[in-house]
Amino acid sequence: MVFDPISPTSPSNDRIVVQAEKVNKYFGSLHVLKDIDMTVSRNEVVVVIGPSGSGKSTLLRCINHIEKINSGRISVNGRLIGYYEKNGRLVEDSERNIAQHRAEIGMVFQRFNLFPHLTALENIIEAPTNVRKIPRDEAVTDAKRLLERVGLLEKSDKYPNQLSGGQQQRIAIARALAMKPSLMLFDEPTSALDPEMIGEVLDVMNELAHEITMIVVSHEMGFARAAANRIIFIDEGRIIEDTTPDYLFSNPREERTKVFLSKILH
Amino acid sequence: MYHFDWTIFWQYLLPWTALANPLIRNGLIATVVVSVVAQVLGVIFGLFAALGKMSKIPPLRWIADGYIWYFRGTPLLVQMVLLYFGLGVTHIYDFPDIHVGFLLITGAIQAGTLALAINEGAYMSEIVRAGIEAIDPGQMEAAKSLGMTTGLAMRRIVLPQAAKVIVPPLGNEFNNMMKTTSLMEVISAGELFFGFTQINARIFKPFELFIAASMYYLLLTTIWTIIQARIEGSLGERKGIERGPSMVRRLFSFGGGKGAR
Repeated sequence: MVFDPISPTSPSNDRIVVQAEKVNKYFGSLHVLKDIDMTVSRNEVVVVIGPSGSGKSTLLRCINHIEKINSGRISVNGRLIGYYEKNGRLVEDSERNIAQHRAEIGMVFQRFNLFPHLTALENIIEAPTNVRKIPRDEAVTDAKRLLERVGLLEKSDKYPNQLSGGQQQRIAIARALAMKPSLMLFDEPTSALDPEMIGEVLDVMNELAHEITMIVVSHEMGFARAAANRIIFIDEGRIIEDTTPDYLFSNPREERTKVFLSKILH
Repeated sequence: MYHFDWTIFWQYLLPWTALANPLIRNGLIATVVVSVVAQVLGVIFGLFAALGKMSKIPPLRWIADGYIWYFRGTPLLVQMVLLYFGLGVTHIYDFPDIHVGFLLITGAIQAGTLALAINEGAYMSEIVRAGIEAIDPGQMEAAKSLGMTTGLAMRRIVLPQAAKVIVPPLGNEFNNMMKTTSLMEVISAGELFFGFTQINARIFKPFELFIAASMYYLLLTTIWTIIQARIEGSLGERKGIERGPSMVRRLFSFGGGKGAR
């Protein structure tokens, strides 16, 4: 096979789902992300850890352009997110294009953010029918399959406030999957849950791992050990370590990684 | 000592005799219809003003701000007279009478309804905005993360939830609206109060007639309060809104809001 480094469809580029280069993000005068470089390949599971306020959630939210970056560039599936390039400068993309791009990226939130005025099933079919314009029956069939997959088919007509936290989060995962994303972002998916409900959500995530590219901000080290290909440790807006779970747990390079790990591993 | 004319009082208080008089019958119908139309238009204007005020586009924000500033900062009575006589005298719009089927909508009714609606829109915009801002920003984020544009997310996700927050204050606005229609008397729009003032001009029994007139407004607002409680109750049962105050509290302690503008 002839390797062509220039062509954007060359096999090596094709496997890259997320590429962040020199990303900086400020909230006012607060510098939250500092020169972040990161590459995530297809079907990789990357777990991001770090102290609170370190910028890990912000990084995730920049990847689907819910937060705008101040400099650098982020591409998802080979295309810049939120911007396009014109005469060597980045110009903010149209809302429609950004929305279309976001549709390829599923996101699961700490507080679930299910739509409270819609049933579980309606939550799942809302975006497929209104964004992708899929016929309702087809969307319902898909949604039922997803509900079955997360083990909640019998809850399809319940409203979010009739479900437990763990059930809500599993519906939220199904809702994101209904758009058939190529990348899933999980923003502390279990930290708002009662301890006895964490397992059911991690089980669903474990099953998804390696079927789909995942970036997971979480301190669930059991999940990281079992499912992650890589762990990224962020502190004060910088990537401090980017390595395999085994390596990170056995011999962290930096002193602050050790300190942090000793805190979350008890 | 003033001799209270009970015959006149009962004649204009009791519906079966009062409503025989076309001034009162048509006036009552006009008051109800104008209230509903002005309130519906007010909600629409308010929605646009609220969206304008929250827009990312500065000129839209300025227009919305200016609209709200002017119409909340000047008296409704002045706005109504300005609209009716001002537009008439400049021939921008002469407010000709319009026939819709068998209905006659006089120029004064049009002007009054429009003034009420525009004024109401300025107040509704704040209610709508508060309703939208009461919705967790996570809802908009979740909708956007699913590929929805801001407009679609507003329509499908945020506004349906905001509507539930808006219903109770909207009910109070409508209650006020029915009373405020009486201001249209000054431009001789044929609503309920105008009917009574016309009769008074003929027979001069102001005490008897205006007590009777006030009772008709009290009847309208009381009926509405009962309907409003039903609406909020059924919304609450289905969608988890807190139960509103009891009927007795509603009837005897509402107000506290704007009162006369």
